[in-house]
Amino acid sequence: MKQGAALAAAAAVVIAALVLPMWIGPFYTRVLQLFFFSAALAVAWNILGGFSGYWSFGHTVFIGMGAFAAAHFVQQAGPFGSGPWAILVPVLFAGVLCGVFAAIIAYPILRLRGIYFAIAMLGVSQVVGELVNNVSWFQGGVGVFLPPPALDGMAPEDFFYYVFGGLLLLCVIIAMMVRKSRFGHALLSIREDEETAMMLGVATERYKIAAFVLSAMLVGVLGAVYAYSVGYFTTYTVFRLDFSLNMIVFCLIGGIGTLFGPIIGTAIMLFITQVLLSRFLDIHLLITGAMVVVIILLMPGGVIGALRAWRQSRATGKDREAEART
Amino acid sequence: MSGIILSGRGVTKSFAGLTAIQNVDFEIPENAIFGLIGPNGAGKSTLFNLITGYYPLTAGEIRFKGEDISGLPTYKRNQAGIARAFQISKPFPALTVRENVAIGAMFGRPETHDAEATVEDALAIAGLGELADRTAEGLTMGALRKLEVARAFATRPSLLLADEPCAGLNPTETAEMVNCLRKVRDRGTTVWLVEHDMKAVTSICDRILVIDAGNKIAEGTPQEVVSDPKVVAAYLGEPLENTDN
Repeated sequence: MKQGAALAAAAAVVIAALVLPMWIGPFYTRVLQLFFFSAALAVAWNILGGFSGYWSFGHTVFIGMGAFAAAHFVQQAGPFGSGPWAILVPVLFAGVLCGVFAAIIAYPILRLRGIYFAIAMLGVSQVVGELVNNVSWFQGGVGVFLPPPALDGMAPEDFFYYVFGGLLLLCVIIAMMVRKSRFGHALLSIREDEETAMMLGVATERYKIAAFVLSAMLVGVLGAVYAYSVGYFTTYTVFRLDFSLNMIVFCLIGGIGTLFGPIIGTAIMLFITQVLLSRFLDIHLLITGAMVVVIILLMPGGVIGALRAWRQSRATGKDREAEART
Repeated sequence: MSGIILSGRGVTKSFAGLTAIQNVDFEIPENAIFGLIGPNGAGKSTLFNLITGYYPLTAGEIRFKGEDISGLPTYKRNQAGIARAFQISKPFPALTVRENVAIGAMFGRPETHDAEATVEDALAIAGLGELADRTAEGLTMGALRKLEVARAFATRPSLLLADEPCAGLNPTETAEMVNCLRKVRDRGTTVWLVEHDMKAVTSICDRILVIDAGNKIAEGTPQEVVSDPKVVAAYLGEPLENTDN
């Protein structure tokens, strides 16, 4: 019953998302496109950072790598196919390349724990960004073009709205499958206590690497589509510290390690920054920063954590009332 | 070599010159409850850490079911059938009791089994049924100790290393724990128990190994061990009969 209701709600959201661009006009379509992109990034980050507790401070490396991988793939090999589907092969290539890169650096870097892993990832993103910027073959300094596909009359913002929407759905489905699986339970046990997890027969190394690679691939795919959506970009368009930080902040606000926390957090933060504060551009970072501090102080478990605590306290309150009556 | 589940030959561990375990031999008979006692700092937990692979051996070898396991990583030793209940309870705090135990059941030994039944069975043996849906964070010491054993037992081990499962428990809880360990043994899991509560140790152990300052000083039945002058001098302080009065 409950599952049926959840499925129906999910279907309603998807159908609403499908028809929405017809009504809301290009500005809000772009805002929602940004929301889908950012939420999908947060969900992908959460698979590693939220489920296994390995917070990456440098996930933008996979956005940048995915973007440049797609652009160079198209430059070298030409577009595969025509029409909207032309983006498919370069985007998949970008995802696979990010996955391979993650698998290569995983072994040394995932031996680091806590803040050391976080900082190491920050370092990785800086180093790769500088390489792409300064090694002339990558053209990161001058920038590269990745022309949008022929859309046959469809507005580009609508096209990317649907692509990012689809990718968000994909990320959520993958995160749900992970969370429910044996793999997901291994990640949770790693987050809670890695030594104990090993003692219970969890091959922690293997699962950590798998989560890292999966997260990297999803972010790489998102980065490649983002590159198509901007059309022309340099190193600093895609290797951006604020991308890395947003993934973390959005998860924190919504509820880190939960399934829907990253999406809720993204919705709240984008609503504040893109809609409420769009008229106060000169002070919007200041207000955003202050808000993040306040939210973290008031709700350390994020929105989902606060809701759970509220529901629990209400339930125990009811228990007490019932006890008092008997 | 039937009958011996775990054996050690010349087991030695040094940390930067300090020898924590020196040339200890042991043989744990299958389906026994085996005791390990010794003063604080004698190396009991270090010995367990060597058996589970948390530390590598400096010298010697450890055989489990006849096979040398000295080179295996911790998780493979668990999958082979060695589980451990920690001295300082290490629950997964954000997860419920049932989820904690379920992780043991999902991983552990790779043979196929009904994971849900294993979880319920482990909860029942430890007497945790009523607390199954509580998060581990708010449990009492007694419940945390039971959770350690239940989670380890859910990995379906043939050997359970129980590191001071009765520490900090009151007499009733201690009796419950002793009962629980008996049940674990009756299911065919050998138990190796570290415990300071001599009453508990002597009442349930078939044999006891005594170490002091990293050296084996005695081994035998509870009666032999408590009357051994070396054990009395190093650990018990005075003959047990006198303290009982």
